[in-house]
Amino acid sequence: MITIRKAGLLTTVQDLGRVNYLSQAVPFSGAMDSLSARIANIALGNDEDCAVIEFTQSGASLFTGSDALLAFSGDGAYLTTDDRRLPSDRLVFIPAGTSLYLEHNKSGSRSYLAIAGGWDVPKVLGSRSTYLTAKIGGLEGRCLAENDRLHGTGKLTPAAEVIFNSLQGPIIKYPNWCVARELFLPERGNAIRVMPGREIDWFTQSSRNGFLSQTYTIGNNSNRMGYHLEGVSINRLRKDELLSTAVTPGTIQVTNDGSLILLMADCQTTGGYPRIAQVAAVDMPLCAQLKPGDSVSFKELSWKEAEKLYIKLMQDLAKVTLAVKQKYGVK
Amino acid sequence: MKITGAAPIELTIYPISESAVTIEFGNTIDEGLMNRIGGFNRLLHQKPFPGMYDTVPAYTTLSVFFDPTALIYNNELPGTNCFEKVSGYLKGLKDEGSSGPIVENETVNIPVCYGGPLGPDLEYVATYHHLTIDEVVKLHSAAIYKVYMIGFIPGFAYMGGLNELLETPRKESPRKAVPAGAVGIAGKQTGIYPLESPGGWQIIGQTPVSLFDASRDQPSLLKAGDKVKFEPINLSDFEQMTINNKVAPPDGEAQGA
Repeated sequence: MITIRKAGLLTTVQDLGRVNYLSQAVPFSGAMDSLSARIANIALGNDEDCAVIEFTQSGASLFTGSDALLAFSGDGAYLTTDDRRLPSDRLVFIPAGTSLYLEHNKSGSRSYLAIAGGWDVPKVLGSRSTYLTAKIGGLEGRCLAENDRLHGTGKLTPAAEVIFNSLQGPIIKYPNWCVARELFLPERGNAIRVMPGREIDWFTQSSRNGFLSQTYTIGNNSNRMGYHLEGVSINRLRKDELLSTAVTPGTIQVTNDGSLILLMADCQTTGGYPRIAQVAAVDMPLCAQLKPGDSVSFKELSWKEAEKLYIKLMQDLAKVTLAVKQKYGVK
Repeated sequence: MKITGAAPIELTIYPISESAVTIEFGNTIDEGLMNRIGGFNRLLHQKPFPGMYDTVPAYTTLSVFFDPTALIYNNELPGTNCFEKVSGYLKGLKDEGSSGPIVENETVNIPVCYGGPLGPDLEYVATYHHLTIDEVVKLHSAAIYKVYMIGFIPGFAYMGGLNELLETPRKESPRKAVPAGAVGIAGKQTGIYPLESPGGWQIIGQTPVSLFDASRDQPSLLKAGDKVKFEPINLSDFEQMTINNKVAPPDGEAQGA
């Protein structure tokens, strides 16, 4: 069990999202950086869709009310105790009575804390992800606040239990291996790869070229629903009104004044702005780590290549999951 | 409107992400087209392909969401990648879809308390059109509306069928919070806010019925294709129905553990 001492900027429980109610306009939600969320779970031998806590930048602090096997991942903060920084992407045994802090990490925006067995919140519409607009999922459909308590489900895999017993004691302990998250990440600082959106030919050629050569800045009013991309505006050839149709996280829309919006995890299920591009799913974890003021640029990828890369990533993650489970002696 | 007899149209299918494709049936708002999309959607849900999650019907499109990892090694579906496999499957369904059974959609009656504190813009709408308040209520509640699609926020229905006499532009500055259940008009559309949210529609009334409730089997009261009729109620009916909703939620049980 942990207690939230300081809530931080925006702290919510998430999993890999809600996929079966899109037709009723319930968005995906889920961890913005699903790669880091997966890796925190994989390190613990959890199923990859166990609930994790998503922190936005630094500032939150917690207190362990009981002994816990935790894993931390992501780039929004470092996880520290009163006297040291804890390693990421690996399981860590933390004894009861430890204070934990999310300390400033300039490289990203979001981090994830998983517990062996997953955080115990009820599934709502098939997912534990918090969706604040409809007040569903996570802890009572809201963001975590001071003095909230979260429990693990206690459903450790048999092997996680062995590890837990072997590390349990009065001090923080962890094994000498971790999940190499960098191996699954496109290189940081590179252009975000995008595929052409359905209405790409609604825009002038010079705007299309500009989109792929200019640098954009993440706007201040950016959140889990979407990012405003500030930069050179996009000009349209066709001024038709687009009839609303389905959109997904990663869709880049052009609003009527020519500015760009990148849709993120909590985005609406339908939209009526023409789409210039779609971010490759494998690069969405990089987008999730962007914060207001960061700059970003885009380069083109084919739809075929994007699908190949996504399937390769999922297969590689499945291999690591299996390797970790075998390490734990689980078939 | 009938689906049968419609001339076969070649479907355009394009990817919108690595795990979703959109089928384009046309490019104008047309009730026949929407019936066609509804028919195809029903058929697809009766015969889903491996890894399919859900579909999103819209004015002229049907989008289909799936898990590529559940699909890529499926050899029953021909194709070298998921997009080809899904497109091929959907095109194969097409012919059956165009001759599928006609399903009469149900009419959902929604009680609305018009005007007063629950409909702060009713008077404005009446003045704008040189109508009396009673005339606005009569026109709004006489029509049978058609749900074109669900989108924007959970349970929000885009509806067609508003009497031209009631078409009213949005408010110049949106309200910071419109309550759940508020019934409004914006341009040619009328709609109901399922959740409290900011909004610029002209609010003419409010329903005590819950448009979205995660504890129901089908959380959204309305679905694409439904017909909707508004029934005027008075304030005391509204209050009574609101109390009843709180005492006995539709499904009774809380979600999960």
